[in-house]
Amino acid sequence: MVEDTKPDVTKEIPKIDLSDSIREFADQNSDYYVECLTEIQATGEKVTPWNNAAMLFGPAWCAARGLWNMFWLFTVAELVALVQLGRGIWGDLGAEKMSEATQLRERAHELRLEAGVAGVTGDETAESSAEIATNLEKAADIAMMEAVAAAETWWIYLLAGIVLFVVLRYVLGRYANRLYELQYAAWRLNRNTPNGFNMQRLIYALALLAVLVPLTLYRFTVSNPAPWLTDVPIGNSYFTTSSNVLDSWFDRTAELGAGVFDGVTAGAQTVLDVMELFLVDAPWPVVAVFLVLIAWRVASIRVAIFTAASLTYIGFLGLWEASMVSIVLVGAAAFFCVIIGIPLGIWFSRSERAYAIARPVLDLMQTIPPFVYLIPIIAFFGTGRVPGILATIIFAMPPVVRLTALGLRQVPSNVVEAAVAFGATKWRILIGVELPLATPAIMTGVNQTILMSLSMVVIASLIGAKGLGQEVLTALQYVAKGQGILAGLAILFCAMMLDRIVQGRFQRQEDQ
Amino acid sequence: MKHEEREVVIELKNAWKIFGEQADQAMQAVKSEGIGKAEVLDKYGAVVGIADCSFNVRRGEIFCIMGLSGSGKSTLVRHVNRLIEPTSGEIYLLGEDVMKLSTTALREMRAKRIGMVFQHMALLPHRSVRDNVAYPLEIRGESKSRRWDVSQHSLSLVGLDGFEDRFPRELSGGMQQRVGLARALASDPDVLLMDEPFSALDPLIRRQLQDQFMALSEQLHKTTLFITHDLDEAIRLGTRIAIMKDGRIVQIGTPEEIVTNPADDYVRDFVQNISKLKLVFAHTIQVPINEYKPQEGDDLSRSPRVSQDVDLDYLIDVAVKTNQPTVTTDDDGKDVGVVSKDRLLQGIRDGK
Amino acid sequence: MAEKETLSTVEILEEIPEVDISDSVRDFAGQNGDYYVREFKKIQSSQSGYCWTFNIASAAFGPLWATARGLWGLFWIFAVCEMVLLVMLGSGLWSDLGADKFERAERLQANYETMLERAATAREAGDEEGAQSFEKRSENLVRAREKALAEGAALQAGGTNLMIIAIVGLIILKVFEGCSANIAYERQYSRWRGDRTVRSDFNWAIGALGVAIVSFVYIVTLLRFTTSNPSELITDFPIGNQYYLAIASWIDYWFDLASSNFAFLFQGVSRGIRIILDGVETLLVGTPWPVVMAIIVIFAYRSAGARVAVFTAAALAYIAVLGYWEKSMATVALLGTASFLCVAIGIPLGVLFARNQRAFNFGRPVLDLMQTLPSFVYLIPIIAFFGTGKPPGILASMIFGLPPIVRLTTLGLRQVPKDVVEAARAFGATNTQILRNIEIPLATPSIMAGVNQTILMCLSMVVIAALIDAKGLGYDVLVALQYAAKGQGILAGVAILFCAIVIDRVIQGKFKDTEKGG
Repeated sequence: MVEDTKPDVTKEIPKIDLSDSIREFADQNSDYYVECLTEIQATGEKVTPWNNAAMLFGPAWCAARGLWNMFWLFTVAELVALVQLGRGIWGDLGAEKMSEATQLRERAHELRLEAGVAGVTGDETAESSAEIATNLEKAADIAMMEAVAAAETWWIYLLAGIVLFVVLRYVLGRYANRLYELQYAAWRLNRNTPNGFNMQRLIYALALLAVLVPLTLYRFTVSNPAPWLTDVPIGNSYFTTSSNVLDSWFDRTAELGAGVFDGVTAGAQTVLDVMELFLVDAPWPVVAVFLVLIAWRVASIRVAIFTAASLTYIGFLGLWEASMVSIVLVGAAAFFCVIIGIPLGIWFSRSERAYAIARPVLDLMQTIPPFVYLIPIIAFFGTGRVPGILATIIFAMPPVVRLTALGLRQVPSNVVEAAVAFGATKWRILIGVELPLATPAIMTGVNQTILMSLSMVVIASLIGAKGLGQEVLTALQYVAKGQGILAGLAILFCAMMLDRIVQGRFQRQEDQ
Repeated sequence: MKHEEREVVIELKNAWKIFGEQADQAMQAVKSEGIGKAEVLDKYGAVVGIADCSFNVRRGEIFCIMGLSGSGKSTLVRHVNRLIEPTSGEIYLLGEDVMKLSTTALREMRAKRIGMVFQHMALLPHRSVRDNVAYPLEIRGESKSRRWDVSQHSLSLVGLDGFEDRFPRELSGGMQQRVGLARALASDPDVLLMDEPFSALDPLIRRQLQDQFMALSEQLHKTTLFITHDLDEAIRLGTRIAIMKDGRIVQIGTPEEIVTNPADDYVRDFVQNISKLKLVFAHTIQVPINEYKPQEGDDLSRSPRVSQDVDLDYLIDVAVKTNQPTVTTDDDGKDVGVVSKDRLLQGIRDGK
Repeated sequence: MAEKETLSTVEILEEIPEVDISDSVRDFAGQNGDYYVREFKKIQSSQSGYCWTFNIASAAFGPLWATARGLWGLFWIFAVCEMVLLVMLGSGLWSDLGADKFERAERLQANYETMLERAATAREAGDEEGAQSFEKRSENLVRAREKALAEGAALQAGGTNLMIIAIVGLIILKVFEGCSANIAYERQYSRWRGDRTVRSDFNWAIGALGVAIVSFVYIVTLLRFTTSNPSELITDFPIGNQYYLAIASWIDYWFDLASSNFAFLFQGVSRGIRIILDGVETLLVGTPWPVVMAIIVIFAYRSAGARVAVFTAAALAYIAVLGYWEKSMATVALLGTASFLCVAIGIPLGVLFARNQRAFNFGRPVLDLMQTLPSFVYLIPIIAFFGTGKPPGILASMIFGLPPIVRLTTLGLRQVPKDVVEAARAFGATNTQILRNIEIPLATPSIMAGVNQTILMCLSMVVIAALIDAKGLGYDVLVALQYAAKGQGILAGVAILFCAIVIDRVIQGKFKDTEKGG
């Protein structure tokens, strides 16, 4: 019975008439497109009628019909084809070799003259000069032959150009209607999708093509194109002036703000000194015992074993002090990131406006390559460990700010509401409810910050922050592979050590 | 003491809440021109959450606010402790004008006078059950031993002895909500605000908690504002019920009033499928004895006698044992009315 | 009315039975339980949670008490504070703070005597002038000696001061240790009630460990800081860098061996990258700059709107006016090649990892390593195998930029709702169809985010790749860094910054488009 009704049901389904809608979409020449698109849809996208207009006008058709992606794709591809074609027809393919040959011949000629003169005066160089001249002439001949051969290959370029062009147009003619059908489907969903046949778009596209095609053809087919085309026609006068202006500005600002910069330096230096006292100056057995013990208490026995192994590696390779200096650097940077970042994060979670202003800045801090801000840091703070830490802070602070703000925003609003309903003050809610609930996110941020600080260790050593980074950098300069890799592994172990310890803390909190 | 005679604990007068950036302008327009909800949205891009709501709750009452989701009932309950500021209107709690309280006084009020239970429990996941229950006391600055004593007591009230050292996530949903209730009771508030406390629970546990809540309520006599979307629940628990629709209160009344005398079609739709057996009483459906037209075979002297204050459930029990109509009597035992079987069936269906 | 309220409240509250914590505290504290029961009750009934309690055991043993009772947080604080104070005390007591100065004074004394002798011999020889000059010098020496002695004495006195400060500090610390101990221990008790794994009672083993650690740490630290010439065993790790050099040269050897034996492989990879790079470079550097500029601006306009287009035009103008055009385009070509390869390799890998749990388990630590390892570290093997120049630079960028795209592709595919895939399977879709029609479209936002991140990471790495001779804008910054040429460095840096922002904005614009569309 089911079999009986099935065909019936299919037969009964009325056909949807898309003609009007397609007509509205296609605008010009709509009857043709109604036919094409209906056929594509009817055959399950297996048959695509040929589109003459697309084949004839190529990218211009795409633009006029609003298929911008196709326009760009085919414009670039056709440019490549046309460049080959142009080189085949007009291009002096052997020009380069030819000029080389001419130069060689001239040089040989000169040498021969010299040899002649030398021969007259009885100089011994005459013979060698003549020999060189002969060699040069031979080279010139070869170059000449190559030039001729290259010039004869014009037909290959021509052919390649033509073939590519024809293939492109064929592809366009073949698939234009299919693409147009897709565009139609998109247009049905979103009426802002370009539709119809738009003169403005066509003119726009033609203008673009009119500029792009001749310029490119000229550049690639002529052997000596005008210099303004290959290079931006501006000398380095602007460059010199502006770099001088910047130099003097930096010097002045550094002088004016010396108090501020020195204050920041002194502050950071104090923290560094204290940490250094514990990690670098304290006897190594004490430091090792402390680190292993902290790893055990804070994380787990496994992390403690890993820490012990890492420390052994570092100690045996004689990288102890360099490692501790690096850890101090990372520790101080992470400390500042946390001290500054968490309050900032709290503020940004409270004030929508502050966050709106700060977010692009945070984005920027993460987006720009660290190289860029090394320069102003050097200009203001000089070289050494403190500027290294500052660069690290800029690089590593965003995650902790972001994740603190995120964590606080993700605290379930009903829990906060409950605290408010029981009469808790804002401060109490922050300390007793929001921060504890945001701790996982904040800890993730701290973790990321530590790892990012470690990845800055090497870059910071570019501006004079010692430690393991220095070792890697030196190795890089002298291509001392072994040393570089050993020091690099030491950095990796330090990173993993700190990471595991901090993560261990966080995981234990999770477990509770 | 009847409820009507007790003092008013919560009072809302013409409360309005309009959400949106131009709420104040919209409010003015509503007041001066009387524009409607759609116009407010159209002109000011503002949404009316609460429109002109007034009600009062007396001491010891369980006042239910019933409405479908989006009807503004949760917004309304948050006006009482000013978790949401009304756009206009007056709010009195225990005789004090809540709108005039300073921030500190308001906090004090919330900490000492009001307990609140939330739909999704809103327990602090990082604190033990005991610390959760003791949280309101901690906010008030009570000593630790006091907090422990009170929270222990409060937990035993809701039947959660021995769970005080667990964490909320170790408890089932129903137990978590009981912790929420214990927390609200811990500060021994005058007023309990309950925002759909049982609606996230499955039906069986909901029923249990309702029973437990009713028993507790009998014991503690807390003035309660109870929000629910479930009319059955409202009828079971409520001394009085307010029905909300689109931010307005459509009807306020006792369960019987609501069921027997719905104010409009909206309410009627709601109460249609509610069992009237326990809500409608004989005096509502009886025909006065002097107006009663006896049918063939009726002999009122052989009819069973019941008080006119019994409910329909009881009437059915009586009616199935006889083929005579039932006669109702007043407090003095005098015959006042007759309930024939037809009348009884009609009463079961329509409530009157 | 208000009065009545309070009355009723009090009544109800008074009924509340008291909770007896004695047994539980005894259980918690183990040794000396009764004492803690008393103290805890005192603390708990205080309004603020703080009250005057003094734990003599803690005051006496400080960190040891803390370890024995399992209060590790307190242990760290006590141990470090005590150590600092003990170091101060030790240097006051034993170390010879004025030693240097006294030594100097002795030397000066000896010099003085020789001077006097010389003066005497000179006088004997009848050289009155010489004798006088010697005497003058000896007088100077006397003065210097007196000064050194005074300084030495001052330092010694300073030593006494240090000692006094240390003793006062120790006393304060001990008082603090005594006062804070019970309060902290009570907190520990409250935590223990919720979580029985919290360390509670007195534990001899842990206590012994604490003793061992503390005494070891104290002795070594005191030795290090109080004696003026501590043994080298303490200050430096007792192993020089002989292992370092030996292992390093061993690694060198293997690298050389590998790079010479597999030269064809490395060269092949290099060449492959070079071909793609050349293509991209011809497009960007070779094409006339007006054409490239126009295309970039139009592209920015099409994908991200007029504002970004204006910004792009301004950024390009900046780059062109300052003469960075070619370098920028070279950088972008490097970046383009690196990100193209990342995407081409990363998305299939991501699909594989999403499908195959075993591959994912294997790949994840590698991805982690790629991101954790500082970028400079893998520059080294890359130099060893591929030499310097642009293709190695691209390879390094790829290592750095590959993880996000792989990760986010995997994540995106894994986050596709199971029921949607199930539905497709129920309608008889093949795996390829499911991947193409359902998983990839639904994962697109995630994949696009990955592409975005990959491009930005490649950019920052492309700049660093200047270190291995990959040229471009990074090279200018590097040179500026070496010569502290601030102005030039900033100009080049800003050019990099503009490249980064333009690329980021354009991709984000594109990304938003797809989000809206999907």
